[in-house]
Amino acid sequence: MANFHSMPDLISSSVSLKVEDDRKDGTKYNTSGPIYPFAQGSKSFPSTVIKEISQILQLKEGKKIMMFLGFNTLCTVILLTWCHSTNSMALTAFTYLTIFDIFSLLTCLLSLWVQRQRPTPAYSFGYERFEVLAVFASTMLAQLGAFFIIKESIACLLQQNEVHTGRLLLGTLLACFVHLIVTFGVKNRAVNHVVEASSSSWLQEHMTDMSESLCHIVPGLSKILLPRLNPFVIIAFAGGISLFAVHILIDTKMYYSADTWVAVCIAIMTCGTLFPMTIYTGKILLQTAPSHILGQLDKVLREASTLDGVLEFRNEHFWTLSFGTLAGSLQVRVRRDADEQLVLAHVFSRLSSLVSVLTIQIFKDDWTRASTYAMVGSPAFGYQSPIPALSTRAQSPVDISLSLSSFQSPPQYKPPPASSFVGVVPPPKRSTDNTRTSTLTSAGRGTSDIAGFSSVNLS
Amino acid sequence: MVECLPELFRVIRHAFFGSVISFLWLFGLTLCGPLRTILLFEHSDLVIIAGFSALFTSNGGGPAKLRGAVFFILAVLAVLLFDHDDKLHNDPDHLHSTFVSHVFHHIITNVGWSDHKGGVVLLSITLCLQVGFNSASKKLSVDIGGSKRLHALSTIMSTMLLLPWAVFIYLTRESDIESWVYILFPLILVIFFMFVFDYYIEAVAVNHLHPPSVALVGTLTMLTGAVFLSATWNHPLMAQVTTLHKMKDIITEDHVLSGGVVFSVIIMMFSTRLLLAPSRGARGSFIGYSPAGLPLYSIAGDALQRTTHSVFMVLKNGLRQILEESDSRKIFYFLCINLAFTFVELTYGVWTNSLGLISDGFHMLFDCSALVMGLYAAVMSRWKASRIFSYGFDRVEVLSGFINGLFLIVIGIFVFAEAIGRLFEPPEIHTERLLTVSVMGLLVNLTGIFVFKSAHGHSHGGHGHSHGGHSTGGHGGHITGGHGHSSGGHGHSTGGHSHGGHGHSHGGHGEHSLWGGEEHSLSQPQGGHNTNMEGVFLHVLADTLGSVGVIISTLLIENFGWNIADPVCSLFIATMILLSVFPLLKETSMVLLLRTPTDMKKDISLCLEKVSSLEGVLTYREPHLWWHTSAKVLAALHVQVTPETSEQKIVAQISSIFKEIGITNVTVQVEKESYFLHLTGLGAAPDQMFDFTHNLQHQNQSESLFSGVKAI
Repeated sequence: MANFHSMPDLISSSVSLKVEDDRKDGTKYNTSGPIYPFAQGSKSFPSTVIKEISQILQLKEGKKIMMFLGFNTLCTVILLTWCHSTNSMALTAFTYLTIFDIFSLLTCLLSLWVQRQRPTPAYSFGYERFEVLAVFASTMLAQLGAFFIIKESIACLLQQNEVHTGRLLLGTLLACFVHLIVTFGVKNRAVNHVVEASSSSWLQEHMTDMSESLCHIVPGLSKILLPRLNPFVIIAFAGGISLFAVHILIDTKMYYSADTWVAVCIAIMTCGTLFPMTIYTGKILLQTAPSHILGQLDKVLREASTLDGVLEFRNEHFWTLSFGTLAGSLQVRVRRDADEQLVLAHVFSRLSSLVSVLTIQIFKDDWTRASTYAMVGSPAFGYQSPIPALSTRAQSPVDISLSLSSFQSPPQYKPPPASSFVGVVPPPKRSTDNTRTSTLTSAGRGTSDIAGFSSVNLS
Repeated sequence: MVECLPELFRVIRHAFFGSVISFLWLFGLTLCGPLRTILLFEHSDLVIIAGFSALFTSNGGGPAKLRGAVFFILAVLAVLLFDHDDKLHNDPDHLHSTFVSHVFHHIITNVGWSDHKGGVVLLSITLCLQVGFNSASKKLSVDIGGSKRLHALSTIMSTMLLLPWAVFIYLTRESDIESWVYILFPLILVIFFMFVFDYYIEAVAVNHLHPPSVALVGTLTMLTGAVFLSATWNHPLMAQVTTLHKMKDIITEDHVLSGGVVFSVIIMMFSTRLLLAPSRGARGSFIGYSPAGLPLYSIAGDALQRTTHSVFMVLKNGLRQILEESDSRKIFYFLCINLAFTFVELTYGVWTNSLGLISDGFHMLFDCSALVMGLYAAVMSRWKASRIFSYGFDRVEVLSGFINGLFLIVIGIFVFAEAIGRLFEPPEIHTERLLTVSVMGLLVNLTGIFVFKSAHGHSHGGHGHSHGGHSTGGHGGHITGGHGHSSGGHGHSTGGHSHGGHGHSHGGHGEHSLWGGEEHSLSQPQGGHNTNMEGVFLHVLADTLGSVGVIISTLLIENFGWNIADPVCSLFIATMILLSVFPLLKETSMVLLLRTPTDMKKDISLCLEKVSSLEGVLTYREPHLWWHTSAKVLAALHVQVTPETSEQKIVAQISSIFKEIGITNVTVQVEKESYFLHLTGLGAAPDQMFDFTHNLQHQNQSESLFSGVKAI
């Protein structure tokens, strides 16, 4: 947190989002220039992007990824032209895997960039979440592409056209090769994490199942087959084999609709492979707690609730910030005589092993009677609007006058700007020593505070 | 005797259906030949039931069973597709002897299959019927008192049922059977093998062995035996030697062993083995952690299983949830209109055999998927918060908006690529009926635009969305419309929240915070426009653009013969879609990335300034303010205070400060020096201490932060 002054220029932080967007589709971002008016003239957007990219390219890793990216793009273009010349839907579906590889390489570049970033005021949680979004977007785009393939295949089934098998096998081999090279050649932090952490795709489940029964027969294979296989490898082989089958069917039987069916199969397999990853990253983006952590969290919270003075926990929000890091906020209600700092330190130290970005608010009921209901009544505590209930309870005029007198106390903070939150500022401490009050008086005070509060709104 | 009547009736029914199935089986046998009949029909009920439950239910017994079922289907398909069937009806007149075969041949002639394929389909259907029949007869046999008894009774009944028919045929047709001796021998053979031995052997085997293993061994033996016999017996040369002269015409080339059948037999054996293997019990129970903290688990199907409701109840509840709120209601109605249009288009396309119409109908169906997703997100966003979704499901709408944006980008790129392809190799364009369809599509989409326009553009009255060509302007106006009052309603199409924020900061410049507060109380309800609805709206808009483009290019092609108009229109539309989607993508991704709200930067820096100037506050750290949805902002903050300050007072003051700018959900962690002492006592990480001392030493750091926030 002490690094605010060492952050990169703010322009880049505000613009970095566009970096990603542009990477996703690769088409013109110059035309969408007017979208960010707060690039206030210091530097133009493309030059910032170029600067950031050139910084990354100075790294050895970045150069390597860029090389792979160039190779991948070149092969994809070649494959797309072959798809066009062979007229094969299945090869197109398979080529989309290499397009996904381009996305995953871009994600890799992005995670290189993210590693060099520090949290800025604009992105106070840091830039790690960019990786999550990038993985989500690339898996989603690949699935949408597969979806398109399915749609096109339906149109193809209605009007089957001829497929030339000349370059079909060659294209299959090339796509397989590129895909495997990219999968194993680059150490892609973000994608690898997602592959490991997301639940198995159905292809993986079947592979595990088959290899298990295979290992019953040949126990020697267990070293290779029993660990969870990389889904990208599985889909590369499955797609390659089915394309080979298409080649045979078309060559021997002139059975052209096999191509279309295999295209649908490959599209479904692509969706099946990528869907668990989308779910995993999507859940992170939705600010959810990972379900496997819940048990540990419960245990820690149970431990913490036995601390002296702790009454209850409420508004517990724990969510995944980026891959592997949790963030959270929590309100702890404590007894009135509890040492807040001690409780805070205890709860914080218990939770900090699990949750790295943590904010704990200690809450005391009725900490000073005068403003309890101001606090409770204010929506800051998540209550709706206790005004009608309280005003019905405000019966004694004495209470009102009393609280009005306390209301006239000067505001507590130093600079007196013509601000509007005078009314909600709690009264001075002199009323704190009076510890026993009836609910009626506090209710009356609550009303008065709310009256002050509503006057603020009116002003 | 009277109380036996219902049972008697049930036995008769049983006998009737049994005879029907036997008849179908025999008919299939005449069509396919013995090998294929055995391959397709001789399966245990266990196999079929396991296959069905793997395919159609969630707890089918794991991936192995599913694979088995898929292999089973593949085997049937292999017989259907890869067997040789060059001869369509070898001799139609000969086989049309009975009424049923006549109907059957009529049907398969209409479909265009050979009778071989028809037989395969017939046998597969008969197999399913047989499974149902067997499970029904199991129930009946309990009531009757033993399956042996049922079998006997049912056989007698079916004999009685079939006897009149047999007598009728015998009397009316002149048969070529010379004497009773010729028919007696086969008859006795059939009686013993089909009705007595088959039943008893199976019963004995099931009694002494495990039923699945009986099924497995039986199927494997039968299949290998059938292949062996057909390879030897049925071979034309062997047939010369072994068979009677009479049966020669049955054994045609058609029923000879082929590569497809061998392939199918192998797959069928494999799938039988898979389907009958005991399923592994341990599924998804293993949950542990790798050293890196990664979860090691598989999908726990049983843990996720919910109580089953009837389909009707689920539909009813879903419909009620959808109709509860205006957004989802609008999407739903539009979806209905769209689906109805698609349905009409498809049926008309099938009726008139127009490929263009059918493919356009599928295209519409494809577009409906975006609507379905939007609808689901709109319903989901109202779900109650759970442990996992502790903030509620609001963000689902943002995510759905993002996905819709990606969807549109994919669509735009595809249209773009296709248009460029058409520029270089212009295809033949058939404009017949294109105009009508696209005008109707345009009408449907215009309805959608009018429905959705009211959903989220309250303040952009002047913009006409009905104009396809002006839609960027209209769209930009719609985006800026959320903050229209601050930007004075000048409708340039820059778009995005940023624009609103821009105007906002200008307005708030140098004025007291009261103004800002008032502004927010005004802009808050509007500013949070629904990104989900916006995504759906953009989708509909893109469709409308497509229709307009088609209309224009069709008119140009028909009237002037400009074939280039089609790709040019497509290029224009693709660019339009891509441009209009960027603001949505930008906004949603900023929300998803937990960015500090751009439209409140002035307020935020003011707020933080106020916080640090509160009495007792030394400094603050980790100020996190982020968009939860595009309407809701959350905040979390750590403050260091002097030892004598009351924590609760600070909390109350800070939350009231934040409440002023519309942030109601604030978590404040108040820290004193003693907290850090406690932490070090508890053995916490020393960087916390470092942070604290660092903060105390560098008070001016907060100054730099302010400037930072201002410069967002």
